[in-house]
Amino acid sequence: MKAFIDKILIQPLREVFQKLSAFAPSLLTGIVVLAAGVVLAWLVKLLVVRIIRILKLDAAFARSGVTEALQKMAVKDTPAKLVGRMFYWLVVFIFFILALSVMRMPVIDELLEKFLLYLPNIFVALVVLAIGWFLGNFLGRAALIASVNAGMKAAGPLSKGIKGAVLLFAFVMAFEQLGIGRSTVIAAFAIVFGGAVLALALAFGLGGKDLARSFLEKRFKKSGESDRGDGLKHL
Amino acid sequence: MSGKTPDAAGIGRAKTAGLKNVDILVGIPSFNNARTIGHVVRAVEAGLTKYFPGRRAVLVNSDGGSSDGTTDVVRDASLDLDSILLDHRKGGFRKLVIPYHGIPGKGSAFRTVFEIARELEVKACAVVDADLRSITPEWVELLIKPVLEEGYDYVAPYYMRHKYDGTITNTIVYPLTRALYGKRIRQPIGGDFGFSGELASFYLGKDVWASDVARFGIDIWMTTTAVANGFKICQAFLGAKIHDAKDPAADLSAMLHQVVGSVFDLMEDYADIWRTVRDSEPVATFGFVYSVGLEPIPVNLEKMIEKFQMGVRELAPFYRSFLPDDILAFLNDLAARPDRGAFSYPDAAWVRTIIHFVLACHRKLVSREHILKSLTPLYLGKVASFVIETWESTAEEVERRLEDLCRSFENEKDYLIERWNGSA
Repeated sequence: MKAFIDKILIQPLREVFQKLSAFAPSLLTGIVVLAAGVVLAWLVKLLVVRIIRILKLDAAFARSGVTEALQKMAVKDTPAKLVGRMFYWLVVFIFFILALSVMRMPVIDELLEKFLLYLPNIFVALVVLAIGWFLGNFLGRAALIASVNAGMKAAGPLSKGIKGAVLLFAFVMAFEQLGIGRSTVIAAFAIVFGGAVLALALAFGLGGKDLARSFLEKRFKKSGESDRGDGLKHL
Repeated sequence: MSGKTPDAAGIGRAKTAGLKNVDILVGIPSFNNARTIGHVVRAVEAGLTKYFPGRRAVLVNSDGGSSDGTTDVVRDASLDLDSILLDHRKGGFRKLVIPYHGIPGKGSAFRTVFEIARELEVKACAVVDADLRSITPEWVELLIKPVLEEGYDYVAPYYMRHKYDGTITNTIVYPLTRALYGKRIRQPIGGDFGFSGELASFYLGKDVWASDVARFGIDIWMTTTAVANGFKICQAFLGAKIHDAKDPAADLSAMLHQVVGSVFDLMEDYADIWRTVRDSEPVATFGFVYSVGLEPIPVNLEKMIEKFQMGVRELAPFYRSFLPDDILAFLNDLAARPDRGAFSYPDAAWVRTIIHFVLACHRKLVSREHILKSLTPLYLGKVASFVIETWESTAEEVERRLEDLCRSFENEKDYLIERWNGSA
């Protein structure tokens, strides 16, 4: 009986204890690394927020429309705090990975390796999204100003359409970079974009043929004043 | 007298070969001005013959690749001196037709004129627009004589213009440059100027030929550069200015962008100078001032107000990034007014608007091009307000009205300097 208990209970418990005592230093080191990471992350967050305030980047974010967009998404933090928080979690995450790696567990090592190889994709996708965001805003605003100056009634929708198209394009590129639903996303993008272009072509062709004719006539026919009764010479 | 069309290999000595000791150069920039340039060339030749018969003179047509036969018209333009009771010249006279290079625009054409002036070491130069219908031989005298005989370096034009002709000049450029640099040069972007050979060389030494100066910005750049660098300035009364529209196809917002952008850029270059200037003073004026009847200019008020309203409605979020709340509130209120008779953009609000556009460009808050182009609807609002206010006014009354606007700009200069310094 004693041999039986020793075999099915004591022996395994001893093995568990041995493994735990072998693993404990690594675990302890991991916890220490993680704790150090949390402290460092907190310091990095403070530093980043301070730098953003010194460089007055909050005002720049407000001007570029980032703050407004965040508010629309119900994000209450200022962009400075948000960036600070992102850095905080980034440092915590890096130290978490370090902590896992010092524990030397084969499964985790393998997962870590895959994840580390995937990280550049996430970085590139984020960069693509950021560029898309700024480019979309810039081009949308340029289109808005140009169409307002041209007196186009649909200035607002046109501007939003251009901004949306650029953002959509950026999202598609980002998803493609991440390898998420690569073929589905591209196909969806092609369908949506192609559909939009076709719809616009049909709308212009059917609904705006008179407008197009008048535009072309104005453009290519020899005429006097282009605008009804306006002879102002601005210079 | 002979015409000459050199190859397109730039301005070299070959083009001015045989020309030496030239006293006077008159430049005419052109691009598809066949309809009007013949008259301009004849007027210049008559002016040189009548007022400077013993001086060696050159007429330079700096052309931007006209396809309507402009250069042929220049070469073929001839003057029957007997019919205008003039004797033949004693000094030499040559016509040069030269294609200019660089960015297409009036500024690039002027650069070619400056280069030839330097090459020939001329004493006095004048430039006149090719689209002028009202130029007379006296313009040449009035633009050249102050340089040759009175020792001035720069002669700005002073014309009689219709009250709605030159609205960018009247509502922005004249009042702003007057307040900044303290000189009451009524037509700082008039287009027809006289200047010394020394000043032409000074202009050439500046590295601005890839900017808006190469386009419509050249006029304000020439005036401001001359004023800010202490050259001796005067203006000459030339009578009426009647001309074709600068470029009927030109986009107003691009024109505004180039001219106003050049004024703003010059503010950066000469900040140390204009920040020390207080008040303004008249400049010496030559010529016999008289009033003339001018062709009425049709104005489409409805369209201007519509564009203003649309601009305020659509661009309000953008304006919010650099215009103060009180100006934004005023603009929204004005855009919402249904009564066209009550449409009024007061000087105080307009001056503050311009100052905040200046500051936005200075602080590089957002894209400079976006800032400048977004001025167009507000400018149209101010012009509409000005037209409503002065519809019944005479030319003299309108001048007095513009004097008030200039005073408003001068009174707000401290406000501008304070904020400019704060963000420097």
